[in-house]
Amino acid sequence: MAEATFLDANELVLNMGPQHPATHGVLRVKLRLDGERVLGSECVIGYLHRGVEKIAENRTYAQFAPYTDRMDYVAAVTNGMGYCEAVEKLLGVELPPRAQWTRMILAELQRIASHLLWLGTHALDLGAMTPVFYTFREREEILNIFENYCGARLTTHAFRIGGLQYDLYDEFEADVRKFCDDLPGKIDEYEQLLTTNRIWMERTQGVGVLKPDDAIALGVTGPVLRGSGVQWDVRKAQPYEAYAQVAFDVPIGRHGDTYDRYLVRLQEMRQSVRIIRQCLERLEPGPILGKVGKIIKPPAGTEVYHSIEGPKGELGYFVVSDGTVNPYRVRIRPPSFLNLQALDKMIQGQLVADVVAIIGTIDIVLGEVDR
Amino acid sequence: MKAICEAALSVSSGDVVAFLLRHPLLVATLKILVVFAVLSGLVAYLVYLERKVLAFMQARLGPMRVGPWGLLQPIADGLKLLLKEDLIPAGADKAIFLLAPVISVVAAFSVFAAIPYGPGGWTITNPNVGILLILGVSSLGIYGIILGGWSSNSHYPLMGAFRSAAQLVSYEVAAGLAIVSVLLMANSLSLVEIVRRQQQMGAWNAFLNPVAFLIYLIAGVAETNRNPFDLPEAESELTGGFHTEYSGFRFALYFLAEYTNMVLIASLATVLFLGGWLRPFPGVRWLWPLDFAPVAAFVGAALFVGWLGHGSRVRAERIFFTVLALGCVVLAAVVAVPVVLHAIQGVFWFTLKVLVILYGFIWYRATFPRYRFDQLMAVGWRRLIPLALASLMVTAAMLLWTGNRAWPLTLANLLVGVGMTVVLTAGRSGRPPRSALEATR
Amino acid sequence: MKERLRKIFLVDLLRGLRVTFSYQRPSATYTEQYPLERPPVAERYRGAPRLNNHPVTGETLCIACNLCALACPENLIVVGWQRTADRKKKLTTFTYDLSRCMFCGLCEDACPVDALELTQDFEIARYSREGLIWDRKQLEEGPAPTRYTR
Repeated sequence: MAEATFLDANELVLNMGPQHPATHGVLRVKLRLDGERVLGSECVIGYLHRGVEKIAENRTYAQFAPYTDRMDYVAAVTNGMGYCEAVEKLLGVELPPRAQWTRMILAELQRIASHLLWLGTHALDLGAMTPVFYTFREREEILNIFENYCGARLTTHAFRIGGLQYDLYDEFEADVRKFCDDLPGKIDEYEQLLTTNRIWMERTQGVGVLKPDDAIALGVTGPVLRGSGVQWDVRKAQPYEAYAQVAFDVPIGRHGDTYDRYLVRLQEMRQSVRIIRQCLERLEPGPILGKVGKIIKPPAGTEVYHSIEGPKGELGYFVVSDGTVNPYRVRIRPPSFLNLQALDKMIQGQLVADVVAIIGTIDIVLGEVDR
Repeated sequence: MKAICEAALSVSSGDVVAFLLRHPLLVATLKILVVFAVLSGLVAYLVYLERKVLAFMQARLGPMRVGPWGLLQPIADGLKLLLKEDLIPAGADKAIFLLAPVISVVAAFSVFAAIPYGPGGWTITNPNVGILLILGVSSLGIYGIILGGWSSNSHYPLMGAFRSAAQLVSYEVAAGLAIVSVLLMANSLSLVEIVRRQQQMGAWNAFLNPVAFLIYLIAGVAETNRNPFDLPEAESELTGGFHTEYSGFRFALYFLAEYTNMVLIASLATVLFLGGWLRPFPGVRWLWPLDFAPVAAFVGAALFVGWLGHGSRVRAERIFFTVLALGCVVLAAVVAVPVVLHAIQGVFWFTLKVLVILYGFIWYRATFPRYRFDQLMAVGWRRLIPLALASLMVTAAMLLWTGNRAWPLTLANLLVGVGMTVVLTAGRSGRPPRSALEATR
Repeated sequence: MKERLRKIFLVDLLRGLRVTFSYQRPSATYTEQYPLERPPVAERYRGAPRLNNHPVTGETLCIACNLCALACPENLIVVGWQRTADRKKKLTTFTYDLSRCMFCGLCEDACPVDALELTQDFEIARYSREGLIWDRKQLEEGPAPTRYTR
């Protein structure tokens, strides 16, 4: 028999990644193609596996906090916040109000930063090369606020178990207010570039449709779930920090396609600005650290699952204590990992060009998928 | 034999020079050399211009490190590409792989022989079927792309090449139909004649037939594989398309061909629709100050360069920009001489129009997302081609009916353009742009 | 109908073009020319570590308590000390492996005397991995990055 080449078969297997510009890291997707149409796919993950959960078992509770920054490295603040809250729940520590409001402000800023990064790269995947520079500019303002607050921009390690390490710097309120005043106008500009643009609409509408039932069955959370029209936001459903005391809306989509997820995220940014404004009003001087000992030793046999609404979905930490200074087990529920499951469902029957759009719309960060 | 040798020896060197000077090929060769040199330089600095314009549109500065304001960047890029290793993939069809980029670049450059840059002697050659020659030769360039993608023996280049072929063939139809309207109006296939015709009409074809102009522009963007139709090399999907496996000098050739094609599309658009070398409103006498635009342009350039130098903190840069500004002033003075002014008038306007269109290409690239392949085809076949056909029929009918009167032609074209668009988009209302925002609760 | 007209006259595309065009004004440029213009770094920035000396006496502030080494998640600090004649700890060596550091700031939090500090120096790249293991002398002097001028 003559040697078979890839042209002889009706099915073409195309390896997307792990070094592909549009897979946002080191995701490898094995696509089975019929022409340009996708028949099926298989995700190969683990290229960025660092064993974060195992590392946790060999670190003290406080020492593990910086490692959480390195999972979803574009949303380090919310990662750290989820972990700190889980341990605080384990210890039964009450947070002082100033620490709560500060955490909420920084977490919402981080949500905006994460969505901005997503918007820029997603638009870049679809061929619009300019929004990424605009969104990075706005993100830069947020990172500057982080840098002034805690001394780091990306992997912030902003919080400590029981509250905050640093008090806010003097111009913090002015900086955040200025950012909140500027951002809506900037979002309007993105909308002028994309929302009404016919090419953008054609590229995203009806692409990667995820039905609400499928989304729930696959355990999808965050904007991907809400884009499918399911109203589920941990901030509303199981309020943590002081989210019960602020007013905000949860945007949901109707068609479950890429365009709706785009709109949901844009609207979430506007809602985050609204939350930040309310938090700034409530911010008052006071202590920033709750009653936590120097050495953190939760009682033996206690365990807790705590989840927060990260920028990408429900970010959960399951922490088990055996009474020593190290956690017995830390299990992390990363939103990207579970959202990535929906990829196969969403790309079946779509075109190769849509695969890029759909990987972008899930908003995965491989550091979090692989941990 | 001996007689021939003696005859050859008896010819004096003066005769040889005289023979060469009188030979018709001499002038043509010189012109070709000049056009080739200018075009290469233009293409190199087109890349620089693109990077700068894109950068400023994206709130950046672009290349700044090589030379003042990064002005030597194209030279650095060219050197880098020349010095790189010329990789040939293991499974590649070597001969075709090596040949393919050359085909592209030769096709792209040779077309410029037939473009009229100005009135009179400002053309290399003026064939009476110039437009057919250009369309035919420039279409050969697609072989370079297909063969390059095929011979790489790799998935992504192959898909890029297929896309490219399909795209070029489809949009060539729309562009061709748009050109036919122009040919009807000019009643000639010669490019020089087309420009003269616009002079007689007293208006550019872009105003007489805006629909065809728009179609040609869109198809032109698609034919040069530029955003929003840059699917063959869609970076985020195909990692570079047909030239994924190319490196070094051969990659540079593809790059050169692409940008040369951009210049070609812009030049053709200028000749066919924007009146070629004619100044704006060629028939209006009282706009005579426009004749002095070349002088104004050089003075403006001098002022701009001087301002750049004034703002610079580096001494070497200040000196460089000052010299450049002085050079521009001298050029402005030279151009102000009536004879020179009259001679370069045509080329000046031609270049300006080409640059404006090229700027447009860069501008689209900064703004628009990319079409998907099937949508690209739909735009080509289901929108542009029917529209071009309708426009062509209306143009022909109006030419028969009202003769050479300008206004009826324009109006009829606009009407049929809007009407056809309404018909073509009917029943495809699509979703209104903001469906999810109402659902914020 | 309005929507339809907008589509025919390419209004959506023109609006996008307007945005990009308006950004060409030079004042909109946001980037910095890094080696020439050095960005201001926040006061609290966690960069290269430094071992502080007493500003007057020039003696090290470090009391060799080893708390930083214990606090470090990556175990990259090694503190060496001797007992002096009056049974006090005296710092001899201090090694800090920057190649493993994640600049979390736990060591400076742990330091009871403000001897170890993460400073605003951010240009700490080296040509070798060994170059990133800093000894006491380097920690006290801090990095000396090359300042580029045109």
